[in-house]
Amino acid sequence: MSRSKYFCVMALALVAALVCSIPVYAQEKIIKIGALYPMTGRAGLYGLDSVDAAEMAIEEINSKGGVNGYKLELTNTDSKAKPDYSVMVAKRYITQDKTHFLFGVVSSAVGLALTEVSKQYKKIFIGTDHASTQLTTDKFQPYYFRVSNNTFQSMAAGALYLKELQQTKPWETIAYIGPDYAYGHDQWQELKYNLDRFGVKYKSVGEYWPKLFAPDYTAFITSIINDKPDILVAGFWGGDTVAFIKQAQPYGLFKKTLYFHPDAGGNYELMSAMGSELPEGLVLSARHHNNWPETALNKEYVEKFFKRTGRYPTYAAEGAYAGIYAIAEAVKKVGNPDDTEALVKALEGLKIQLPEDPEGFTSYIDPETHQIVQVQAIGLTKPNDKFPPAKMMLGDWKIYKAEDLLPPKDYAERLKKK
Amino acid sequence: MKKSLFNKDIIFWGLFVVVFGSVPFLKQSDYHLMLANSILIWGMFAVAFNMLFGVTGMLSFGQALYYGLGAYSVGLVVKNYGPSLFLPAIGLGVVLAVITSILVGLLVIRLSGVYFTVLTLAFGQLAWQITFRWYHFTGGDDGIQGIMPSGVLENHTVYYYFTFVLVILAIWFLRRVANSPMGLVLRCIRQNPERVRFLGRRVRRNQLRIYVISSFFAALAGGLMTGVTNSIHPDMFYWTTSGEVILMAVLGGIGQFFGPFIGATVIIIIQDVVGARTEYWSLIIGLIMMVMVLGMPRGLVGEIRGLKARFAPGRMSRG
Repeated sequence: MSRSKYFCVMALALVAALVCSIPVYAQEKIIKIGALYPMTGRAGLYGLDSVDAAEMAIEEINSKGGVNGYKLELTNTDSKAKPDYSVMVAKRYITQDKTHFLFGVVSSAVGLALTEVSKQYKKIFIGTDHASTQLTTDKFQPYYFRVSNNTFQSMAAGALYLKELQQTKPWETIAYIGPDYAYGHDQWQELKYNLDRFGVKYKSVGEYWPKLFAPDYTAFITSIINDKPDILVAGFWGGDTVAFIKQAQPYGLFKKTLYFHPDAGGNYELMSAMGSELPEGLVLSARHHNNWPETALNKEYVEKFFKRTGRYPTYAAEGAYAGIYAIAEAVKKVGNPDDTEALVKALEGLKIQLPEDPEGFTSYIDPETHQIVQVQAIGLTKPNDKFPPAKMMLGDWKIYKAEDLLPPKDYAERLKKK
Repeated sequence: MKKSLFNKDIIFWGLFVVVFGSVPFLKQSDYHLMLANSILIWGMFAVAFNMLFGVTGMLSFGQALYYGLGAYSVGLVVKNYGPSLFLPAIGLGVVLAVITSILVGLLVIRLSGVYFTVLTLAFGQLAWQITFRWYHFTGGDDGIQGIMPSGVLENHTVYYYFTFVLVILAIWFLRRVANSPMGLVLRCIRQNPERVRFLGRRVRRNQLRIYVISSFFAALAGGLMTGVTNSIHPDMFYWTTSGEVILMAVLGGIGQFFGPFIGATVIIIIQDVVGARTEYWSLIIGLIMMVMVLGMPRGLVGEIRGLKARFAPGRMSRG
């Protein structure tokens, strides 16, 4: 066989592979949702939980006959948390698979890359689990909607908590530890901004920037002990929280200073990983809690998820669950999943009752920023073994009204100027 | 012999032009265009990388440095000065890559074997760290989004043909280098650098030349890629990017000029086809690599040439 022949073979293989990659869909009325969750690596659990919860929501809706005769269908591709690869897949979803919605994403970097694709192709992108405030402020584009809280909302609730705390238990000094990348830096900036906004007086005595996924925090722990802050604000993500708390405990850090972690600290992942080792009295929050609010909807959601997967959900799951219901509601209003502009209008201001809504409150999407507006609850770690393997859960809740947590109107301008 | 080599080249180019040139007409969606564009760009990157690895025997684990440099030059220029400077920014990227590769090259070529590999890796990772942490300038781990080419290049088909022509020129140039007296010296350096010195040829000068040439095309690949994905990210500097291009070269066959191009094609298609169906695509790539290394050490193209020699009595394999 000459070289020309095998190049022929290669060329044919290329064409064959391209043709094979075209999926075949049955001719029924389907709302196609193209998701991009990481299924491997450090963020793998978040992806797994999100896909399970999204499929659970889809089954619930489809078993009741779907939406206006349409069935929902989710396709997930492992994003590998890589933006360039995710962009390729998103373009495949839109141009080839004719997906109606882009969906998901754990990493903010992937979210920022996909919002550009969504803007370019005028396809709605439902963000379920990435917290970068930029997406709904200075990088905002009309086809992007987020159905989970962003870091600004968590930090605004955190600042209000610290303000109240100052009145009951006076504190003066504060320090921050967070991963040295955008997510870590954003949280600290936003907390300081909100503390100033709410007129809280404080003195910052230290900032510590370990690397993301750093294995050893000893040097930081000893510095924190030397700097003696009254409050230690943490901005860790994922398994880093577990590693830090485990390493800091033998130093008695949590007896000397109040550990305060309002964005992702209260994730069930931490409680299940640490069991009874988790110290009592840490102040944590997350975008969803398995034991708050004690509404029928939340209980049913958590139990159903447990029955389906054999584990309790992390906060990521509820974001995906909310995303599917938001899509279903919007399609119900419009009547079909093809009229993107009408769907955008339907999603703007959409009210949707979610597991994380307390009695008397319904989450809604802010028509201006396309950010969901939700109540935030901050709690203290307390013994509670109702959600094994966790032995500690949050309790003594403090609840913050959704409207108080939104960024002021000029915030996007402020970010742009930076 | 020379004539037959020329004929085969003509056949390759003919096929190459027909297959890739017809994608815009045969495509069913924009996605196919994007996929073909990625294959062209990664293919060029892999062929240029192989000039260093397969031809000269210098396994650089830091070519991501130049790929990233090319991409970030375009990203930063477009972000700060507007999309009209997209093309000059690609030029800037390759110029910066040439300057950097001369400076870095002068240091790294003093070492050989695994020491060379580790030092190139160190430089690559250094660039990654800087990009990752210099938040205000590079956008940190969030990267930069919305990098669109301007003017006629805004059209995806035009951009595809623009890349296509550049890749043809790049591969043609690299082919010329590989077949030139310099290419011969490079092969000799791989086999026996001492002997090259005895023959009165400069080893380091030739190594530096090919390092710079390879880095030039890595940066060009990075710059062109920004027009396809419209966003950049520090991962482009990360060692996994260098690893991917090594994988492509090894899969296609490092002993063959066009091998890495085929390797890039196969890996991108596997990623696409398998990745769309299961998250275990890396397992499939892993298995393929295992089979390749254990059973087909000459790579896809090398093994096919080997087969050709076996079934054609009286003909010797040049593989």
